[in-house]
Amino acid sequence: MKNMSPPIVETQNLSKTYGGIHRVHNVNLAVQTGQIFGFLGPNGAGKTTTLKMLLGLIKPTEGKVKVFGKDLDRHRPNILNNTGSLIESPSYYGHLTGYENLKVMQRLRSLPGKNIDKVLKIVRLENHKHKKADQYSLGMKQRLGIAMALLAFPSLLILDEPTNGLDPAGIGEIRELIKSLPEQYGITVVLSSHLLSEIEQIATSVGIINDGKLLFQGTMQSLQAANKVTIRFKTPDPARAEKILQSQGYLPKVQGRQLLFTHLPDEEVSYINRLLVEQGLPVTRIEEQKKSLENIFLELTGKERSL
Amino acid sequence: MLRSISAEWLKLRHSRIGLVLGILPVISLLIGCFNYYFNQTALQNGWYSLWTQVSLFYGEFFLPILIAICCAFVCRLEHANHNWNMILASPISITNLFVAKLFTVGMMIFAAQAFFMFMYWSAGQLLSIPGAFPIETVLWSLRGWFASLSIAALQLGVSIRLKSFATPIGISLCAVFLGIGLYVLNLGLLFPYSLLTIGMGVLSQKGLNSMENILFLLMNSFFILLFGTWSISRLKKKDIASS
Repeated sequence: MKNMSPPIVETQNLSKTYGGIHRVHNVNLAVQTGQIFGFLGPNGAGKTTTLKMLLGLIKPTEGKVKVFGKDLDRHRPNILNNTGSLIESPSYYGHLTGYENLKVMQRLRSLPGKNIDKVLKIVRLENHKHKKADQYSLGMKQRLGIAMALLAFPSLLILDEPTNGLDPAGIGEIRELIKSLPEQYGITVVLSSHLLSEIEQIATSVGIINDGKLLFQGTMQSLQAANKVTIRFKTPDPARAEKILQSQGYLPKVQGRQLLFTHLPDEEVSYINRLLVEQGLPVTRIEEQKKSLENIFLELTGKERSL
Repeated sequence: MLRSISAEWLKLRHSRIGLVLGILPVISLLIGCFNYYFNQTALQNGWYSLWTQVSLFYGEFFLPILIAICCAFVCRLEHANHNWNMILASPISITNLFVAKLFTVGMMIFAAQAFFMFMYWSAGQLLSIPGAFPIETVLWSLRGWFASLSIAALQLGVSIRLKSFATPIGISLCAVFLGIGLYVLNLGLLFPYSLLTIGMGVLSQKGLNSMENILFLLMNSFFILLFGTWSISRLKKKDIASS
């Protein structure tokens, strides 16, 4: 699906090296307006570094960032005026109350005072607004951080691991909140997470990053479609079966006693079966295997370790 | 600019920096008064003698430390909880941010100076020092305040750079001694910390002639601009280290 309007966030060959080592390597992001873009990758993959470059908090070694179709280098104040962000765990002034924290932000951005009450209501902190932020629970701090990012009701919201460290109830709450943003306030959301399940439940589009490289980018559906199903044929003589099939123009992958096909329509499954049986090769099993997103993710990142 | 300054003021709420602003001048004044009281035979010059005693501790030691503390304090707010991320991702220019912080520190020091002068006057009354209150000391304290601004510009730069609260204060202590050295060598105009000594009339009460006054103002303005530009351009160029 090609969108006619230019992406709201776009990076071209974005790279960042620290001491000669690429933390982010030639990343080309394209986030469309109205999306919830999930930036997925294991810890240390370069998510935060990339998000910081989107905000100009760190300077790219190479490459360009465009937000709202404008060059970040040249139009940074303008872009930031319309962008809210929460980077690397919530920022707040601990000795100030939740309300005062929002007041600082409201003055800095010269916003109407009523925005404070509005965001307090959205993140459901209105009953704790006169408590010092230091005394907030982690979930409340996270919500305060989101409130501060949301205060200007920006067109673009960048959230770095917004559900990190929250309990399941808190995660669910934040998730519902984020999901409602594009529709209710016309906010495009870019968020990062190391948890596939999180992204799966929130995001409409996904970018998978590992070792600083963007491995996949597209809608959630296209990620699933790209690696959908494998058909496995089990036969006692896979080598001969392979030869027979190759003569018919098929290119199966042999794995033990199994022949693997991807993207195989039903008619062809029965055709291959018939072909083998007619040549006197018993087919002992035909299996369809669906890969879970988990497996797709692990395959893409090449990591079986815990994420 | 106004919105940055008012945001800075908001951040000072519930903080104990006001306590420090009060206590350090009180301590230096008390030490000075003790010295004066027990050495009255040697100190025969009334109000001026009292000034030499109180301003010695205040202007030479406690005020520079107070400036360093204030600067470290307004920066510590941002070092905590990755707040630099939040502040620098807001549509406020870095110049605005720096000037707002410098202005805030400037106002704190102004309050401390005013409080100090009030206490100097009170102490003089209590010790029943004869003669009229010397008006030029007010001018000296104002000059001291102006010199404080160039120290503050330097200390702010250091505190923005260093996450530690104490290290910049230690640096300021070293700078104080260096400043005394340069003052003694008559190179005081070349170093902000010695400018404070000159401005406050700490070690010499004979006052400055108009040429020296102009030079004093020029050098301070130069230092404020120099350190300000240095800090701002560094913040602009460098990536925000926040972890």
